[in-house]
Amino acid sequence: MSALVLIGFGIVALMQIPGLVQKQWWRELICFVLLWSMGLVFSLMVSMGITLPPLTTIINETITGMLGI
Amino acid sequence: MSLENGKISSFQLSVLIIGFIFGASVIIAPGQGAGHDAWMAIALGLTEGLLIAWIFTALARHFKGKTLVEINSLVYGKILGNFISVLFIWYLFHLGALVLNNYSRFLELELYPATPKTLTLILIMLVCASSVRRGIEVLARCSLILVTLTILMAIFDTLLVVPHMDLHNLLPILDIPIGKLLWTSHATAIFPFGDAVAFLMVLAFVNKPEKGRSAVFKGVLIAGLVLIGVAVRNAAVLGQMNAIYTYPTYITAQVIDVGDVLTRVEVLVAINLITMGFFKISVAYYGAVLGLAQVFNLRSYRPIILPIGILMVILALTNVSNTAEMFDFANNGYPIYTIPFQIAIPLITLLVAKLRKLPQIGGDQA
Repeated sequence: MSALVLIGFGIVALMQIPGLVQKQWWRELICFVLLWSMGLVFSLMVSMGITLPPLTTIINETITGMLGI
Repeated sequence: MSLENGKISSFQLSVLIIGFIFGASVIIAPGQGAGHDAWMAIALGLTEGLLIAWIFTALARHFKGKTLVEINSLVYGKILGNFISVLFIWYLFHLGALVLNNYSRFLELELYPATPKTLTLILIMLVCASSVRRGIEVLARCSLILVTLTILMAIFDTLLVVPHMDLHNLLPILDIPIGKLLWTSHATAIFPFGDAVAFLMVLAFVNKPEKGRSAVFKGVLIAGLVLIGVAVRNAAVLGQMNAIYTYPTYITAQVIDVGDVLTRVEVLVAINLITMGFFKISVAYYGAVLGLAQVFNLRSYRPIILPIGILMVILALTNVSNTAEMFDFANNGYPIYTIPFQIAIPLITLLVAKLRKLPQIGGDQA
């Protein structure tokens, strides 16, 4: 599963990075790499069975808990 | 330099809003908490929804041709403006992930139980990414065809279900406590009508900005009337069971049986869901990507489409632990959670802009 994730992310990087480097769009490249890296780390965690915190559930429990709904 | 060169007509905007509002409403039936009075909750919610639309269109009219991110920079300055914009972008991103999540859960429960949820999410995300990449014009043109088909299918479903309707199921009217009705109507105003605040990232690209507000109102109103019709139909067919089923619209279509020949028509509802969900996800996705590109002053939003899409899929996968939590959030947490994004940000920004007498002609409004 992790290998599939790495291949997928490799394809996305190959689709984007050469064009950005060629145009010398460094700001866009930095933005892309940052978001891409975040996606890669989270995807690898999910593929390895690491449970990420359910954000919506946390938001819901915080709001309903605070307001006593 | 504008990041979006496309322009859409006010008619296209109306149709796109109809598709957007139908979005997840096919799955999470609005007003369901009010049981057979759902139609009344939707009617009240529509009134509040139009008020929300009035607020955000007033802001868009005040700053013609500007997205919310540009408006925030003008009104609050670069730092505070970008901070507020990032909050709004989070809302759009989260909204997209929530709809994706609803979408995949419905498909997993009702249609493709053996297909991995991740695959469904990736496939729909790729379609949405493709439409976002092509810009708002393409999305608007798609909406003309798909929304028309969806409305025709809803009419077709309703006609076929007429023999199973019992209007006595709608009685007694106002059978629930008034407090519960008001809460449900507020929840309906927020979801699905208030979500149209996402169009603050799109209204800048209407070719005749002065017609933007009436186009939004028309879209919200038509979508609201169709949803009221669907709620009446569901309650008339399902009766008390309407409040119990997870997907009442889907179950209502399952009832259709014309001479043992025309059955399993509920797949039409699933098609409606797939097409309308596509619009809701795409508009939220487009707003998040365009907004982030404007915050970071990028020359194009296209390089960040795929990474944002990947993050949206991950959030959709890990959003909630189960379907019950998803419905609990939609009915209890969401109506409060979204108030800052749907009401507070547009309203306060409008008031501050008026106080600061912005935009100044020939001044810093650019």
